[in-house]
Amino acid sequence: MMDDSAAIEKCLKGEKDAFRYVVKRYQAQAVGHSTAILGNRQDALDAAQEAFIDAFQALKNFDREQRFYPWFYVLLRHRCYKMIAKKHAAENIEETEIIAPQNGLSNEDRMTLEKGLLSLSKEDREIITLKYLDGFSYDEIAGYLEIPRGTVMSRLFYARRQLQAKLTGKFH
Amino acid sequence: MNCEDILIQKMALIDGEKTELSDQQINEHLAICENCRQQIELLENTVGLLKRQKRRAQTADLWSAIEKQISAEPVEVFKIKWQPFVLLGVLLAVYKFAEMVPERDFGWALRVIPFVLVALLFGFLKENPFKINTELILEK
Repeated sequence: MMDDSAAIEKCLKGEKDAFRYVVKRYQAQAVGHSTAILGNRQDALDAAQEAFIDAFQALKNFDREQRFYPWFYVLLRHRCYKMIAKKHAAENIEETEIIAPQNGLSNEDRMTLEKGLLSLSKEDREIITLKYLDGFSYDEIAGYLEIPRGTVMSRLFYARRQLQAKLTGKFH
Repeated sequence: MNCEDILIQKMALIDGEKTELSDQQINEHLAICENCRQQIELLENTVGLLKRQKRRAQTADLWSAIEKQISAEPVEVFKIKWQPFVLLGVLLAVYKFAEMVPERDFGWALRVIPFVLVALLFGFLKENPFKINTELILEK
């Protein structure tokens, strides 16, 4: 089975079809992340698609000693933020699903939590989902968001406080 | 440290992260601050709820649309162009010889030549030496 580095090397040698491996491997993760930022599935699909094209065009800048996805995530979030700015809309939030159905949480409570997340700013929602839905460490989040670790610590704190305020008294 | 700082550090500890203050220092503050204890309890409930969740797996098939777009454009293969560097080396060597010719003083004009040559090289390569490529900043 081909790994990221081999696929990217083939792309750089002109074998565009090798990029299919990279897209197939990361597309679900990318759409999950762009959905959490944009709160809208169609926009999330468009942003992920554009980000993969950006990545393809910038492959020569990619350091193959590094992991692909953190590098790609920076391009993906730039695309998401650009999309929000372009639409001149604060955020085009719709009923979307970020959280997977789990045992131990009723559908009603899950929807309450979803609504709480969707009512946050895109920055708060992004950092909270990276921390708790993906389980990334503060150092990893700092890499994804290109901010210092100390900023992750404080931004995460204020995001949690926002969410906690939105959820107070809403659970059964 | 004020209450806000303590709360930030305590929540980082709950997340299993390293903090500037020790567990003991934070707990000493919490022992005397009822307000902080209450806030931590509320935040812990929210965090506990979040920690039990997973991100929903999204279905997507982006390849066909991406393939159409990328097949229309050439792949930019990264190759180091060595010729401009050789040319620069030759020109700088010629300059050095010219500088050693006795009884000829070209004044300041001669001294700026190396800078002009290097600037021309960057111009030829279409590279800005002062540009920071943010795409290259990756996690360690």
